[in-house]
Amino acid sequence: MRNVIQWVALPALVVAAPCYATVYHTVESAQQACFPEATQFASAGVKLSKEQMRAIEKDSGVRVRLDSQRVWRATKNAEFLGWFIVDEVIGKHEFITWALALSADGGVQSVEVMEYRETYGYQIRNADWRAQFLGKKHGAKLKLDDDVKNISGATFSCRHITDGVKRLLSFHDIMLKQ
Amino acid sequence: MTSCSNNEVRRCRPLLGTFVEIAATHDGAINAAFAAVERVQRQMSFHDAGSEVAQLNRYAVDGPMPVSDETYEVLAWAWELYDRTDGVFDIAVAPELMQWGILPGQAAGRPRGRTRDIALLLGRFVQFLRPLQIDLGGIAKGYAVDKAIEAMRASGATSGLVNAGGDLRCFGDREQQVWVRHPRTSGALLRLPALKDAALATSANSYQRQRRRGRVICAHVDGRTRQPVLRSFSVSVRAPSCLVADALTKVVLARGAAAASVLGQFGATAYIVRPDNQLSYCEERTA
Repeated sequence: MRNVIQWVALPALVVAAPCYATVYHTVESAQQACFPEATQFASAGVKLSKEQMRAIEKDSGVRVRLDSQRVWRATKNAEFLGWFIVDEVIGKHEFITWALALSADGGVQSVEVMEYRETYGYQIRNADWRAQFLGKKHGAKLKLDDDVKNISGATFSCRHITDGVKRLLSFHDIMLKQ
Repeated sequence: MTSCSNNEVRRCRPLLGTFVEIAATHDGAINAAFAAVERVQRQMSFHDAGSEVAQLNRYAVDGPMPVSDETYEVLAWAWELYDRTDGVFDIAVAPELMQWGILPGQAAGRPRGRTRDIALLLGRFVQFLRPLQIDLGGIAKGYAVDKAIEAMRASGATSGLVNAGGDLRCFGDREQQVWVRHPRTSGALLRLPALKDAALATSANSYQRQRRRGRVICAHVDGRTRQPVLRSFSVSVRAPSCLVADALTKVVLARGAAAASVLGQFGATAYIVRPDNQLSYCEERTA
């Protein structure tokens, strides 16, 4: 008996996924996760003027795309616990809704991804492009799982969120600090 | 709340420079798992000047330094991997990565030390016997996944899954369907055999290359040649632990079929995906 080492060809099931998304949190469940002891979340949506947007950009070094921000004040009875902010960042392929929780003194308490979407619009809608993949399946019946999860391989960096945290810390200093 | 089947909860946070997704049957297990990942990030980040890795890179050449159990364990694994791969897997490639602009900072001269020059001393002390600089980018992510799984088990969870930017591991009864990204086109996915109580990691660099001073470089370095490992295929490795899976993807990327005997030693299997969708896997069989 001896051990032999073999490289074996496997039939490949290939799926061209034009878009897949995972919802991790609703606003309510993210609030609950960030401030489990809170008894109330008071909406305090903030509208930014052009000057305020520029001031945040200057302070954080990060571009401000939107002139409004979804913000909640978290309290336990009358005690102020901190801020809960919902934000969006857009990368090359991915679109992320995420939440930042700031403690009462403005420190980062937690960052939660609420929804993560990846889209490959042009490339995948292109019929020729699809054909080069779909023609290659070896006998396997192609069935696009409506729930594509557990993907291995190069995923994207979280730099857009890191920048988003910087931007929201400046937003807090300029707009919310009490 | 989210959910997939079986009342599973899935959460995701930006950690380790990527997105870490954790699924389990209850929130307590998920919080414990994220805490474990955050601890590994604090200890082993190359970028954070306060991490143990940064401290070792600065001072361990001057004398023995105490480190945490976790850092010591990862360095011991790095030693074993260096040894069994004849130096292909080497964590002392930070000078090359800095020179290529993939890691921040400047290498002082060109330290020639290797993983074998790291002395792992009694009582969790570490000393560098020659000037060298380490980067745990090739294994710390896998190790963080292993620690997260351990934390979930300790908190009483009976099944769960951790996916740190494509390095993933699951435990429990259920088989997990896993997909791997196409090496050239991240929107296309190939299905791999289902995973049960095992880890899977993938490495590829056909879409993360850069050109620097007329030279094509990437984040993967062959420890023996100190040259970038440029490959058009991707490598996925299934192994009992995510640290081993993570590390061995780099070895198979560098050595191809010649890495097969190393896979066998670690109880691992490799899958190679070529740009034309040819999928092959390596296994050791008794003939």
